Amino acid sequence: MSDAPASPCGGGGGGSHESGEHSPRSNFREQDRFLPIANISRIMKKALPPNGKIAKDAKETVQECVSEFISFVTSEASDKCQREKRKTINGDDLLWAMTTLGFEEYIDPLKVYLAAYREGDSKGSAKGGDASAKRDVYQSPNGQVAHQGSFSQGVNYTNS
Amino acid sequence: MKQFLFLNLPDTEINCSQVDCNHSMAHSSYPYGDPILAYGPQAISHPQMVPQMLGLASTRVALPLDLAEDGPIYVNAKQYHGILRRRQSRAKLEAQNKLIKSRKPYLHESRHRHALNRVRGSGGRFLSTKQLAQSNAEFVTGAHSGSDPTNIYQKEHPLEVESHSSKDGDNASFITTYSDRPCLSGNNLNFRQQECMFLGNSANMSGAPQCSGGLTFGGAKQRTSVVR
Repeated sequence: MSDAPASPCGGGGGGSHESGEHSPRSNFREQDRFLPIANISRIMKKALPPNGKIAKDAKETVQECVSEFISFVTSEASDKCQREKRKTINGDDLLWAMTTLGFEEYIDPLKVYLAAYREGDSKGSAKGGDASAKRDVYQSPNGQVAHQGSFSQGVNYTNS
Repeated sequence: MKQFLFLNLPDTEINCSQVDCNHSMAHSSYPYGDPILAYGPQAISHPQMVPQMLGLASTRVALPLDLAEDGPIYVNAKQYHGILRRRQSRAKLEAQNKLIKSRKPYLHESRHRHALNRVRGSGGRFLSTKQLAQSNAEFVTGAHSGSDPTNIYQKEHPLEVESHSSKDGDNASFITTYSDRPCLSGNNLNFRQQECMFLGNSANMSGAPQCSGGLTFGGAKQRTSVVR
Protein backbone atom coordinates (compact mmCIF):
# COMPACT_ATOMS: atom_id res chain seq x y z
CA MET A 1 0.00 0.00 0.00
CA SER A 2 2.64 2.55 0.99
CA ASP A 3 4.59 1.95 -2.23
CA ALA A 4 1.79 3.40 -4.34
CA PRO A 5 2.12 7.02 -3.13
CA ALA A 6 5.85 6.88 -3.91
CA SER A 7 5.42 5.59 -7.45
CA PRO A 8 4.12 8.86 -8.98
CA CYS A 9 7.09 10.64 -7.40
CA GLY A 10 9.38 8.06 -8.99
CA GLY A 11 7.61 8.55 -12.30
CA GLY A 12 7.97 12.30 -12.00
CA GLY A 13 11.66 11.94 -11.28
CA GLY A 14 12.12 9.78 -14.35
CA GLY A 15 13.08 6.57 -12.58
CA SER A 16 12.03 3.98 -10.03
CA HIS A 17 13.22 4.56 -6.48
CA GLU A 18 11.23 2.09 -4.38
CA SER A 19 12.56 -1.44 -4.62
CA GLY A 20 9.16 -2.92 -3.79
CA GLU A 21 7.25 -1.04 -6.45
CA HIS A 22 4.72 -3.30 -8.12
CA SER A 23 1.70 -1.08 -8.69
CA PRO A 24 0.22 -1.69 -12.16
CA ARG A 25 -0.28 1.58 -14.01
CA SER A 26 -2.81 0.25 -16.50
CA ASN A 27 -5.13 -1.20 -13.86
CA PHE A 28 -5.96 1.59 -11.41
CA ARG A 29 -7.58 0.89 -8.06
CA GLU A 30 -8.56 2.91 -5.04
CA GLN A 31 -6.39 0.89 -2.68
CA ASP A 32 -3.32 1.77 -4.73
CA ARG A 33 -3.88 5.45 -4.13
CA PHE A 34 -5.19 5.69 -0.57
CA LEU A 35 -4.55 4.00 2.72
CA PRO A 36 -7.24 1.59 3.91
CA ILE A 37 -10.04 3.65 5.40
CA ALA A 38 -10.86 1.17 8.19
CA ASN A 39 -7.42 1.56 9.75
CA ILE A 40 -7.63 5.34 9.46
CA SER A 41 -11.03 5.45 11.15
CA ARG A 42 -9.68 3.22 13.91
CA ILE A 43 -6.86 5.68 14.54
CA MET A 44 -9.31 8.59 14.45
CA LYS A 45 -11.50 6.89 17.03
CA LYS A 46 -8.62 6.78 19.51
CA ALA A 47 -8.92 10.55 19.84
CA LEU A 48 -12.68 10.43 20.47
CA PRO A 49 -14.72 9.60 23.57
CA PRO A 50 -16.15 6.07 23.65
CA ASN A 51 -19.56 7.12 22.32
CA GLY A 52 -18.17 9.34 19.55
CA LYS A 53 -19.03 8.76 15.90
CA ILE A 54 -17.30 9.79 12.69
CA ALA A 55 -19.12 10.64 9.48
CA LYS A 56 -18.07 8.86 6.33
CA ASP A 57 -17.09 12.03 4.51
CA ALA A 58 -14.87 12.95 7.47
CA LYS A 59 -13.09 9.63 7.15
CA GLU A 60 -12.65 10.09 3.41
CA THR A 61 -11.32 13.62 3.92
CA VAL A 62 -8.76 12.47 6.47
CA GLN A 63 -7.90 9.53 4.23
CA GLU A 64 -7.06 11.90 1.39
CA CYS A 65 -5.19 14.24 3.74
CA VAL A 66 -2.95 11.55 5.19
CA SER A 67 -2.33 10.01 1.77
CA GLU A 68 -1.33 13.40 0.38
CA PHE A 69 0.89 14.05 3.40
CA ILE A 70 2.69 10.76 2.85
CA SER A 71 3.21 11.57 -0.82
CA PHE A 72 4.42 15.06 0.13
CA VAL A 73 7.08 13.81 2.55
CA THR A 74 8.03 10.85 0.36
CA SER A 75 8.56 13.00 -2.72
CA GLU A 76 10.98 15.19 -0.76
CA ALA A 77 12.88 12.12 0.45
CA SER A 78 12.80 10.70 -3.06
CA ASP A 79 14.42 13.85 -4.44
CA LYS A 80 17.22 13.55 -1.91
CA CYS A 81 17.81 9.89 -2.77
CA GLN A 82 17.80 10.81 -6.43
CA ARG A 83 20.46 13.46 -5.90
CA GLU A 84 22.61 11.04 -3.94
CA LYS A 85 21.93 8.29 -6.52
CA ARG A 86 20.55 5.87 -3.97
CA LYS A 87 17.68 3.54 -4.73
CA THR A 88 16.19 2.87 -1.31
CA ILE A 89 14.40 5.39 0.90
CA ASN A 90 15.02 4.63 4.55
CA GLY A 91 13.67 6.09 7.76
CA ASP A 92 16.46 8.65 8.12
CA ASP A 93 15.66 10.05 4.68
CA LEU A 94 12.07 10.58 5.73
CA LEU A 95 13.13 12.25 8.97
CA TRP A 96 15.41 14.55 6.97
CA ALA A 97 12.57 15.30 4.55
CA MET A 98 10.25 16.26 7.39
CA THR A 99 12.94 18.53 8.82
CA THR A 100 13.39 20.15 5.43
CA LEU A 101 9.65 20.71 5.02
CA GLY A 102 9.30 22.42 8.39
CA PHE A 103 7.97 19.59 10.54
CA GLU A 104 10.79 19.70 13.07
CA GLU A 105 8.46 19.09 15.99
CA TYR A 106 7.70 15.62 14.69
CA ILE A 107 11.34 14.53 14.57
CA ASP A 108 11.88 13.74 18.26
CA PRO A 109 8.93 11.33 18.71
CA LEU A 110 9.69 9.75 15.34
CA LYS A 111 13.33 9.20 16.27
CA VAL A 112 12.23 7.51 19.47
CA TYR A 113 9.78 5.38 17.53
CA LEU A 114 12.30 4.45 14.83
CA ALA A 115 14.95 3.53 17.39
CA ALA A 116 12.48 1.39 19.32
CA TYR A 117 11.37 -0.30 16.12
CA ARG A 118 14.91 -1.05 14.97
CA GLU A 119 15.80 -2.33 18.42
CA GLY A 120 12.78 -4.59 18.43
CA ASP A 121 13.46 -5.75 14.90
CA SER A 122 17.08 -6.66 15.67
CA LYS A 123 16.14 -8.50 18.86
CA GLY A 124 13.19 -10.21 17.23
CA SER A 125 10.78 -9.37 20.04
CA ALA A 126 7.91 -6.93 20.37
CA LYS A 127 8.80 -3.82 22.35
CA GLY A 128 5.40 -2.51 23.39
CA GLY A 129 1.69 -3.02 22.86
CA ASP A 130 1.27 -0.13 20.47
CA ALA A 131 4.39 -0.97 18.49
CA SER A 132 3.43 -4.62 18.15
CA ALA A 133 -0.14 -3.64 17.25
CA LYS A 134 1.10 -1.33 14.52
CA ARG A 135 3.51 -3.96 13.28
CA ASP A 136 0.75 -6.55 13.19
CA VAL A 137 -1.45 -4.22 11.18
CA TYR A 138 1.12 -3.27 8.55
CA GLN A 139 4.12 -5.65 8.71
CA SER A 140 6.26 -3.35 6.61
CA PRO A 141 10.00 -2.59 6.39
CA ASN A 142 11.78 0.30 8.05
CA GLY A 143 11.02 3.06 5.58
CA GLN A 144 7.32 2.39 5.66
CA VAL A 145 7.23 2.23 9.45
CA ALA A 146 8.29 5.85 9.38
CA HIS A 147 5.30 6.31 7.08
CA GLN A 148 3.09 4.93 9.83
CA GLY A 149 4.61 7.27 12.37
CA SER A 150 4.34 10.25 10.07
CA PHE A 151 0.72 9.81 9.11
CA SER A 152 -0.24 8.95 12.66
CA GLN A 153 1.27 12.25 13.75
CA GLY A 154 -0.39 13.91 10.79
CA VAL A 155 -3.76 12.62 11.90
CA ASN A 156 -3.22 13.97 15.40
CA TYR A 157 -2.13 17.26 13.88
CA THR A 158 -5.28 17.45 11.80
CA ASN A 159 -7.49 16.70 14.79
CA SER A 160 -5.83 19.35 16.94
CA MET B 1 -50.52 8.75 14.71
CA LYS B 2 -49.20 6.09 12.35
CA GLN B 3 -50.43 7.96 9.30
CA PHE B 4 -48.62 11.05 10.56
CA LEU B 5 -45.46 8.98 10.96
CA PHE B 6 -45.86 7.64 7.43
CA LEU B 7 -46.17 11.19 6.15
CA ASN B 8 -42.99 12.11 8.02
CA LEU B 9 -41.00 9.28 6.48
CA PRO B 10 -40.86 10.55 2.87
CA ASP B 11 -39.88 13.97 4.22
CA THR B 12 -36.99 12.34 6.04
CA GLU B 13 -36.08 10.46 2.91
CA ILE B 14 -36.12 13.65 0.85
CA ASN B 15 -33.96 15.34 3.47
CA CYS B 16 -31.56 12.41 3.30
CA SER B 17 -31.39 12.73 -0.47
CA GLN B 18 -30.75 16.46 -0.16
CA VAL B 19 -27.99 15.80 2.34
CA ASP B 20 -26.54 13.26 -0.07
CA CYS B 21 -26.63 15.88 -2.84
CA ASN B 22 -24.84 18.33 -0.56
CA HIS B 23 -22.23 15.72 0.27
CA SER B 24 -21.73 14.88 -3.38
CA MET B 25 -21.36 18.56 -4.23
CA ALA B 26 -18.91 19.01 -1.39
CA HIS B 27 -17.03 15.94 -2.55
CA SER B 28 -16.93 17.19 -6.14
CA SER B 29 -15.62 20.57 -5.00
CA TYR B 30 -13.01 18.84 -2.85
CA PRO B 31 -10.21 18.83 -5.53
CA TYR B 32 -10.08 22.60 -5.21
CA GLY B 33 -9.88 22.17 -1.47
CA ASP B 34 -6.90 19.84 -1.88
CA PRO B 35 -4.18 22.54 -1.87
CA ILE B 36 -6.00 24.42 0.88
CA LEU B 37 -6.00 21.33 3.06
CA ALA B 38 -2.40 20.71 2.12
CA TYR B 39 -1.59 24.23 3.31
CA GLY B 40 -3.63 23.95 6.50
CA PRO B 41 -0.91 22.39 8.69
CA GLN B 42 1.55 24.94 7.32
CA ALA B 43 -0.67 27.84 8.31
CA ILE B 44 -0.98 26.30 11.76
CA SER B 45 2.74 25.67 12.06
CA HIS B 46 3.61 29.15 10.83
CA PRO B 47 2.22 31.01 13.90
CA GLN B 48 4.17 28.59 16.04
CA MET B 49 7.33 29.63 14.25
CA VAL B 50 6.64 33.34 14.80
CA PRO B 51 7.64 33.41 18.49
CA GLN B 52 10.70 31.31 17.73
CA MET B 53 12.19 33.21 14.80
CA LEU B 54 10.70 36.50 13.68
CA GLY B 55 13.06 36.69 10.72
CA LEU B 56 11.86 33.35 9.44
CA ALA B 57 8.22 34.47 9.59
CA SER B 58 8.87 37.08 6.91
CA THR B 59 10.17 34.49 4.43
CA ARG B 60 6.74 33.38 3.22
CA VAL B 61 6.54 32.96 -0.54
CA ALA B 62 3.52 33.51 -2.79
CA LEU B 63 2.49 30.47 -4.82
CA PRO B 64 1.45 30.75 -8.47
CA LEU B 65 -2.23 31.44 -9.11
CA ASP B 66 -2.89 28.19 -10.98
CA LEU B 67 -5.33 26.70 -8.51
CA ALA B 68 -6.13 29.71 -6.36
CA GLU B 69 -8.97 31.80 -7.75
CA ASP B 70 -9.38 34.09 -4.74
CA GLY B 71 -5.82 35.36 -4.73
CA PRO B 72 -2.25 34.38 -3.92
CA ILE B 73 -1.78 31.74 -1.24
CA TYR B 74 1.20 32.19 1.04
CA VAL B 75 2.91 29.04 2.30
CA ASN B 76 5.91 28.04 4.33
CA ALA B 77 9.01 28.79 2.28
CA LYS B 78 10.43 25.39 3.16
CA GLN B 79 7.49 23.65 1.53
CA TYR B 80 7.30 25.80 -1.61
CA HIS B 81 9.22 23.48 -3.93
CA GLY B 82 7.59 20.41 -2.43
CA ILE B 83 4.13 21.79 -3.08
CA LEU B 84 5.01 22.65 -6.67
CA ARG B 85 6.41 19.17 -7.17
CA ARG B 86 3.27 17.57 -5.76
CA ARG B 87 1.15 19.75 -8.03
CA GLN B 88 3.09 18.51 -11.04
CA SER B 89 2.69 14.91 -9.88
CA ARG B 90 -1.05 15.33 -9.45
CA ALA B 91 -1.28 17.03 -12.85
CA LYS B 92 0.50 14.05 -14.41
CA LEU B 93 -1.85 11.63 -12.70
CA GLU B 94 -4.82 13.67 -13.86
CA ALA B 95 -3.47 13.64 -17.41
CA GLN B 96 -3.19 9.86 -17.17
CA ASN B 97 -6.73 9.83 -15.76
CA LYS B 98 -5.62 8.19 -12.53
CA LEU B 99 -7.07 10.57 -9.95
CA ILE B 100 -10.05 9.24 -8.02
CA LYS B 101 -13.04 11.41 -8.86
CA SER B 102 -15.88 9.21 -7.66
CA ARG B 103 -15.45 6.40 -5.19
CA LYS B 104 -16.99 3.00 -5.66
CA PRO B 105 -19.49 2.01 -2.97
CA TYR B 106 -17.53 -1.23 -2.57
CA LEU B 107 -14.16 -2.60 -3.67
CA HIS B 108 -14.92 -6.30 -4.17
CA GLU B 109 -17.94 -7.65 -6.03
CA SER B 110 -17.94 -11.02 -4.27
CA ARG B 111 -17.89 -9.47 -0.82
CA HIS B 112 -20.67 -7.12 -1.84
CA ARG B 113 -22.87 -9.99 -2.98
CA HIS B 114 -22.13 -11.92 0.19
CA ALA B 115 -23.16 -8.94 2.30
CA LEU B 116 -26.38 -8.61 0.32
CA ASN B 117 -27.25 -12.23 1.08
CA ARG B 118 -26.68 -11.92 4.83
CA VAL B 119 -29.65 -11.84 7.14
CA ARG B 120 -30.36 -8.51 8.81
CA GLY B 121 -32.06 -7.86 12.12
CA SER B 122 -34.23 -4.97 13.19
CA GLY B 123 -32.42 -1.71 12.54
CA GLY B 124 -30.62 -3.07 9.49
CA ARG B 125 -27.59 -4.60 11.18
CA PHE B 126 -26.27 -8.04 10.34
CA LEU B 127 -27.23 -10.90 12.62
CA SER B 128 -24.44 -12.92 14.15
CA THR B 129 -24.57 -16.71 14.29
CA LYS B 130 -26.17 -16.78 17.75
CA GLN B 131 -28.72 -14.13 16.85
CA LEU B 132 -29.47 -16.04 13.64
CA ALA B 133 -30.16 -19.17 15.69
CA GLN B 134 -32.38 -17.17 18.03
CA SER B 135 -34.27 -15.69 15.09
CA ASN B 136 -34.71 -19.18 13.65
CA ALA B 137 -36.10 -20.32 17.00
CA GLU B 138 -38.50 -17.39 16.92
CA PHE B 139 -39.47 -18.40 13.39
CA VAL B 140 -40.25 -21.92 14.61
CA THR B 141 -42.17 -20.53 17.58
CA GLY B 142 -44.11 -18.16 15.38
CA ALA B 143 -44.86 -20.97 12.91
CA HIS B 144 -43.23 -19.05 10.06
CA SER B 145 -41.20 -21.05 7.55
CA GLY B 146 -38.76 -20.26 4.76
CA SER B 147 -36.12 -17.53 4.43
CA ASP B 148 -37.99 -15.02 2.28
CA PRO B 149 -37.58 -11.31 3.05
CA THR B 150 -41.35 -11.16 3.35
CA ASN B 151 -41.10 -13.55 6.28
CA ILE B 152 -38.39 -11.36 7.77
CA TYR B 153 -40.73 -8.39 7.64
CA GLN B 154 -43.57 -10.46 9.06
CA LYS B 155 -41.23 -11.46 11.87
CA GLU B 156 -40.41 -7.82 12.55
CA HIS B 157 -44.06 -6.78 12.52
CA PRO B 158 -45.10 -8.97 15.52
CA LEU B 159 -42.06 -7.67 17.39
CA GLU B 160 -43.35 -4.16 16.82
CA VAL B 161 -46.82 -5.16 18.01
CA GLU B 162 -45.57 -7.01 21.09
CA SER B 163 -45.37 -5.48 24.54
CA HIS B 164 -42.87 -2.92 25.81
CA SER B 165 -40.68 -5.51 27.55
CA SER B 166 -39.87 -7.15 24.22
CA LYS B 167 -38.94 -3.71 22.87
CA ASP B 168 -36.48 -3.38 25.73
CA GLY B 169 -35.10 -6.77 24.74
CA ASP B 170 -34.69 -5.51 21.18
CA ASN B 171 -32.84 -2.46 22.44
CA ALA B 172 -30.52 -4.67 24.49
CA SER B 173 -29.84 -6.88 21.48
CA PHE B 174 -29.22 -3.78 19.39
CA ILE B 175 -26.67 -2.52 21.91
CA THR B 176 -25.04 -5.95 21.91
CA THR B 177 -24.85 -5.86 18.13
CA TYR B 178 -23.29 -2.42 18.25
CA SER B 179 -20.63 -3.63 20.68
CA ASP B 180 -19.98 -6.58 18.38
CA ARG B 181 -19.34 -4.25 15.44
CA PRO B 182 -17.53 -1.06 16.51
CA CYS B 183 -16.64 -0.21 12.90
CA LEU B 184 -18.78 2.71 11.75
CA SER B 185 -17.98 2.28 8.07
CA GLY B 186 -19.74 -1.08 8.25
CA ASN B 187 -22.70 0.80 9.66
CA ASN B 188 -22.71 3.08 6.62
CA LEU B 189 -22.54 0.10 4.30
CA ASN B 190 -25.42 -1.52 6.19
CA PHE B 191 -27.43 1.66 5.80
CA ARG B 192 -26.78 1.77 2.06
CA GLN B 193 -27.72 -1.85 1.60
CA GLN B 194 -30.81 -1.33 3.71
CA GLU B 195 -31.83 1.42 1.30
CA CYS B 196 -31.20 -0.97 -1.60
CA MET B 197 -33.34 -3.61 0.05
CA PHE B 198 -36.08 -1.08 0.71
CA LEU B 199 -36.13 0.01 -2.93
CA GLY B 200 -36.09 -3.61 -4.07
CA ASN B 201 -39.01 -4.48 -1.85
CA SER B 202 -41.01 -1.49 -3.03
CA ALA B 203 -40.28 -2.51 -6.62
CA ASN B 204 -41.40 -6.07 -5.90
CA MET B 205 -44.72 -5.23 -4.27
CA SER B 206 -47.00 -2.22 -4.11
CA GLY B 207 -48.93 -1.59 -0.89
CA ALA B 208 -48.08 -3.87 2.01
CA PRO B 209 -44.26 -3.77 1.56
CA GLN B 210 -44.30 0.01 1.72
CA CYS B 211 -46.21 -0.22 4.98
CA SER B 212 -43.76 -2.72 6.44
CA GLY B 213 -40.83 -0.72 5.14
CA GLY B 214 -42.15 2.34 6.89
CA LEU B 215 -42.48 0.37 10.09
CA THR B 216 -38.89 -0.80 9.78
CA PHE B 217 -37.61 2.69 9.17
CA GLY B 218 -39.59 4.03 12.11
CA GLY B 219 -38.20 1.30 14.32
CA ALA B 220 -34.66 2.08 13.23
CA LYS B 221 -35.21 5.75 13.95
CA GLN B 222 -36.53 5.04 17.43
CA ARG B 223 -33.60 2.78 18.21
CA THR B 224 -31.14 5.36 16.98
CA SER B 225 -32.64 7.93 19.32
CA VAL B 226 -32.53 5.41 22.16
CA VAL B 227 -28.84 4.77 21.53
CA ARG B 228 -28.09 8.49 21.64
